[in-house]
Amino acid sequence: MKSLTLDHASFWYPATASPALRDVSLEVAPGEVVALVGALGAGASTLLLVAGDLAPRVTGGRLEGAVARRDRSGIVLPTPWTQVSGMAFTVWDEVAFGPANLGWPAHEISRQVDRALERLELVPLASRDPATLSGGELQRVIIAAILAMDPGLVLFDEPAAELDAEGARTLWRLIRVLAKEGKGILLATSALDALPEVADRVVWLEQGAVRAVGTPDLLAEAAACDAGLGTSVATVWRDSELPEPAPLTIIDAVRRWR
Amino acid sequence: MTGPRLHPFTLLAIAGTLPALAWILPPPVGGAWTAAIALALAASRGLRPGLWPALLTAAPFWLFLLLLHDVPTTIAIGLRITTMVASFVWLVAALEPARLVEAMVAAGWSASVAYLLAATLSAVPVLKTRAQRIVEAQRCRGLSPRGGIAARLRALRALALPLILSALHEVDERALALETRGLVPGIRRTPLAPPPDPVLERAARWALLLACLAALVRRLLVPSPT
Repeated sequence: MKSLTLDHASFWYPATASPALRDVSLEVAPGEVVALVGALGAGASTLLLVAGDLAPRVTGGRLEGAVARRDRSGIVLPTPWTQVSGMAFTVWDEVAFGPANLGWPAHEISRQVDRALERLELVPLASRDPATLSGGELQRVIIAAILAMDPGLVLFDEPAAELDAEGARTLWRLIRVLAKEGKGILLATSALDALPEVADRVVWLEQGAVRAVGTPDLLAEAAACDAGLGTSVATVWRDSELPEPAPLTIIDAVRRWR
Repeated sequence: MTGPRLHPFTLLAIAGTLPALAWILPPPVGGAWTAAIALALAASRGLRPGLWPALLTAAPFWLFLLLLHDVPTTIAIGLRITTMVASFVWLVAALEPARLVEAMVAAGWSASVAYLLAATLSAVPVLKTRAQRIVEAQRCRGLSPRGGIAARLRALRALALPLILSALHEVDERALALETRGLVPGIRRTPLAPPPDPVLERAARWALLLACLAALVRRLLVPSPT
């Protein structure tokens, strides 16, 4: 069974006439990283809320079509400061907040929290007050907090928005490791240059509907570049009217150049 | 925080008993005692976080009471309100929401209810912090909260609207965020570090409850002259 299956899903927020998602069908297999790309308002965040069983259950609104999940999902929201519990004295307590809410035994909570802190390189911050952390540190704490709940399907909404370059690289590596462990990953991001290394498949959303699905090579195609969804190298290559096909990454471009 | 900390239930019991006694005990002496104790507790948290907010919040009530009532009634009700305000200010300053959640969960309460109560008690400092942030943002845009009455009213409007709207918006965001953190009804949360609840404190809480009941019975049997 797939980690996540959306079958002709459409979603309307409360008191809106037009749907935020239109007839979206999508599958995420265990161990697969699927990236959602699109312009602002394309529906990527809404799709994650639907996939995470938060819309319409928590947000309200109306869902048509079918959504099936194999495992419990965990979602990393784009604003880490709103996802903090506000009930923890230390980073360790903050990461343990979710597992404790699941009613796990204390030794299991401890194991999962320690593992998540190590994965996000947060061990040196374990005893810090979460209120004193920077945006990037808080983002890593929230990612650790979600991973400590051991979800089978992990949903990331702009997870690198608050991270510096090194932090983002660590996160992309971690996402590949999570996929290797068998977790399904659905990732909405505007960090297009990272996707060739991170994503197995790319889903291009436009006005709430799926416009195209493919391998990350999709991000080097003319249509994607024209829509502002190409990788930097592919976009520059096309803008310079260099010969087809446009390379996807800098490594591809160097290879072509040689 | 330094020194021994009282169990959250003990803090709640004290903060509940003082206003109860203020209304039960005969005025103005009863109210004077409870107000003095509540103000002393508020002052124990420091002048800025404790005593000043209590006095400044209670002051308008005294003014309105004086406009509406005679002096003895104003004093009687004013002392009771001062007790309520000072007790609440002290409670907000002394009670750590995380400890309250842990204590309630350890006592068998649902985590959702515990979080709701703790979040309510921490709403005042959260709103205060946000208000300061909005004032700073408005200053950056050239809107000064100082000056004459007209300027202050303009600044108040520029503060109140974003404060209310952002608070309402955050309710939705918090609900969403807490769901993502596993805070859903029907699952018993594992207490991580329940605060110690010594026998002495448990006995003290019962004593406070009995004191309230005794005062109530006495008040009903021996009506005060006022």
